[in-house]
Amino acid sequence: MNIFVCIKQVPDTETKIKLNADATGIDSAGIKWIMSPFDEFAVEEGLRLKEKNAGSTVTVLSAGPARVVDTLRTALAMGADNGIHIELPENADNNMSAKALAGALKKEPQVDIVFMGKEAIDDGAAQVSQLTSEYMGIPCVTVALAVEYSATSVKCKREIEGGAFEMIEASLPALIAAQKGLNEPRYASLPNIMKAKKKEVKMLKAADVGVSDADQKIRYKGLQLPPPKPAGKKISGDPAAQAKELVRLLHEEAKVI
Amino acid sequence: MTWQTFLFIAVAAAAFGYSGYRFKILFNMMKMHQGKSSRLNLISERIMTAIVNVLGQKAVLKKKNAGIMHAIIFWGFIVITTGTLEQFATTLYAPANFEFIGQSAYKGLAFLQDFFTVAVLLAVFYACYRRFVVRPEGLGKSRDANIVLALTGSLMVSILLMNAFHILGLDPWYKHSLAFSNGIAQALSSLGLSPEAYTNLGTFFKWIHMGLVLGFAVYIPSSKHLHIVAAGPNTFLRTLPREKGMKPINFEDETVTQYGAAKITDLSWKDALDYYSCTECGRCQDLCPAHNTQKPLTPKMLILDLKENMYRNKEKLLAGKYEEISPIMDENVTEDVIWACTSCRACEIACPVFIEHTDKIYEIRRNLVMMESKFPAEVQSVFKNMETNASPWAFSAADRGNWAEGLAIKTMAEDANVDVLLWVGCAGSYDDRNKKVLKAFASLLKKAGVKFAILGTEEQCTGDPARRIGNEYLYQTLAKANIETLNRYAVKQIVTACPHCFNTIKNEYKDFGGQYEVHHHSQYIAKLIGEGKLKPTKGVDETVTFHDSCYLGRWNNVYDQPRDVIKSLPAVRLVEMKSNHDQSMCCGAGGGRMWMEETIGKRVNVARTEQALATKAGIIAASCPFCMTMMSDGVKTKDMQDKVRVMDIAELMDQATP
Ligand code: SF4
Ligand code: SF4
Repeated sequence: MNIFVCIKQVPDTETKIKLNADATGIDSAGIKWIMSPFDEFAVEEGLRLKEKNAGSTVTVLSAGPARVVDTLRTALAMGADNGIHIELPENADNNMSAKALAGALKKEPQVDIVFMGKEAIDDGAAQVSQLTSEYMGIPCVTVALAVEYSATSVKCKREIEGGAFEMIEASLPALIAAQKGLNEPRYASLPNIMKAKKKEVKMLKAADVGVSDADQKIRYKGLQLPPPKPAGKKISGDPAAQAKELVRLLHEEAKVI
Repeated sequence: MTWQTFLFIAVAAAAFGYSGYRFKILFNMMKMHQGKSSRLNLISERIMTAIVNVLGQKAVLKKKNAGIMHAIIFWGFIVITTGTLEQFATTLYAPANFEFIGQSAYKGLAFLQDFFTVAVLLAVFYACYRRFVVRPEGLGKSRDANIVLALTGSLMVSILLMNAFHILGLDPWYKHSLAFSNGIAQALSSLGLSPEAYTNLGTFFKWIHMGLVLGFAVYIPSSKHLHIVAAGPNTFLRTLPREKGMKPINFEDETVTQYGAAKITDLSWKDALDYYSCTECGRCQDLCPAHNTQKPLTPKMLILDLKENMYRNKEKLLAGKYEEISPIMDENVTEDVIWACTSCRACEIACPVFIEHTDKIYEIRRNLVMMESKFPAEVQSVFKNMETNASPWAFSAADRGNWAEGLAIKTMAEDANVDVLLWVGCAGSYDDRNKKVLKAFASLLKKAGVKFAILGTEEQCTGDPARRIGNEYLYQTLAKANIETLNRYAVKQIVTACPHCFNTIKNEYKDFGGQYEVHHHSQYIAKLIGEGKLKPTKGVDETVTFHDSCYLGRWNNVYDQPRDVIKSLPAVRLVEMKSNHDQSMCCGAGGGRMWMEETIGKRVNVARTEQALATKAGIIAASCPFCMTMMSDGVKTKDMQDKVRVMDIAELMDQATP
């Protein structure tokens, strides 16, 4: 099988976000970059599928500036066979990324299945999986919690509102967007980390995959950080007085009741 | 030459030949190990340790009754062997007795031999009493041990009977020196046999004795009694000094393809010598916090299981068929066994023959983590946090210096001209309870007028958790980054309130180019008190018990300074727990256990807290952030938080110092 996994490089979850000078994006100085955690589930799923089907290959793709190659190496260290880096500008939006990924995938002689995370934890937009599948003209299942594979189709269990689940069957090739719980991503072994340094990462320019500036649909004009959390208030007194004071504060100050 | 000479030559040649062959196999198995271990530094210290601990039996005597018993058997063995050699010599050539040493010396020797024969026999009786009546748990049941005791007892009895009958038959000139044998001879004289008959009986028991000795020689290589050959060299080759660091791996060396120990041969020849030396005494197991809280790990069984694995793979090992050797991890050495170790080192300190258990566990963990990515699931986020934020906990690296906000503490970047660098550590930086400890210690430094600074956001985790868990690669990344920073500031003096940071920076950074004078805060505070720079005057009217941190005590021999600090506090009464100093019990957090779930058996921290509560002390004093967490949790589990406080020695000192 020819398995593909799209991954995104995002700031580490503990990052203290700062805005850049003209407030059109974040200041990337000093940021630790990691693979978006949902994409780790996608990589793991791709690797497990490969292990069950001898002769398969897993190719990881990422669109973004040069630094995303490090994250591709992380996926290669987990066990992916090769990588494709599509060079996009720092501020590429979901549409541009999806078109670039689809463009790169369409250049491949055969694509049997594509995985990615259900969303990236930086913008949390959850757009790229659906857009990519649209550009490719293949079915898409999002928020996948479990996948059963057969030669020509996949059955996915996905989470829907109200804590319920549904089963969706899709014919292959298909794109599956992973939810937390799909699997437990592995920790790269040291021999694989060493090997990953020597694996091939193919470089593509935006133009190679049919992407131009016009594909950037969203432009940020002025970003603001959320206001700092005010200090908490401690209510004292006996329980009855405390309850009374709480109600008063919620009503008069917070104006929520 | 008599028929006896011929017979002896034949039997002895066969016995020693076969025994030698078996020893050769043991030696070859040792040689086929591929792990490296060089131990020929500090030769004079090695000679000293061998004299004190082998001839002097110091380590064995740490346990009183069993130790005395063993020392008698050991010294007896040496003295009696002189007699055995004389028997061999005279059997080969009758006049070759040892009387040439002079009459009185010979009489003295005879007396000693006779005395020790009886003493050893009594010791054997005591050993049987211990094994069959007292039955200490650590000793277990052992057919091998029973055989050895039976053989040793028979050897002594045969000597006594041989001597007694010879006295009756030959009436030797030195017979009064053989006080006990002579007494037995008096009793046996009532048999009323002829002198020839007595002599023949004496010769008979001499042959029994020599036969048993030769039998022993053949039996030893496959027995725990092998320790009589291996323990001496093992003591000589022990790790010196005690403050040992873990062996670094050279990741640049591309010829290395195996990290850690997957197979028995990935360990070193010294590990094999350790198995040969094990006496199965169980002292290690008695002190093991994992074993004592029902985890499947016992250091004794680990050694025996590894030995068993080696014997199971003997043929393949000797033939050099490394690929066919079965893995270390099997039904005995399971992941639960390997992950249960807190690396408290109680086993190594207890072991009378200086076996090094933790080295093996570390090597096995390295293979599990780096080669197979196998470790408790919760550890993955620890590694990831260390990789991205240089802390085992999920906090931003940018917040590392926040604890010091408003305290007017400078960073090295601001002013590197200081007496000492305060190494804060991850717990001190991020854990709310331990931040208070750091604040107290910083306050003490100020009170004493010490000029210090911190690294702030330039500090990273020392890497210790990764290293103990087996992720040497991650450890080295962090260690090298820290060393680069420390060397950039030309740091010479470091003080830290964390024994794990202390141990790593002091004993392990030097392998990567980091040489510093490192102090634990207990040492530093004690020094400041000694210099008169800190004067605790406010009374703390409390009973305090001190919990030893393993990485301070057993790993670095620091037992006194934290106690000195406590004793310097006016009105404080220091009481010791049941286990203290080098016999102390771990809190359960070492060896990376801090970040692992504890699902099997009783919780180690609760067991230790119970010991602390038994002292009725109002304050449990700690000197380690992990001990602080574990003991505080233990106190809460026992619902004693209203009556008992857990405090760091720096906090106690700060309170008492105006
Ligand atoms: S180091 Fe401690 S926990 Fe580990 S085996 Fe030895 S005694 Fe047990
Ligand atoms: S390892 Fe040492 S302490 Fe443990 S049983 Fe063997 S000899 Fe005794």
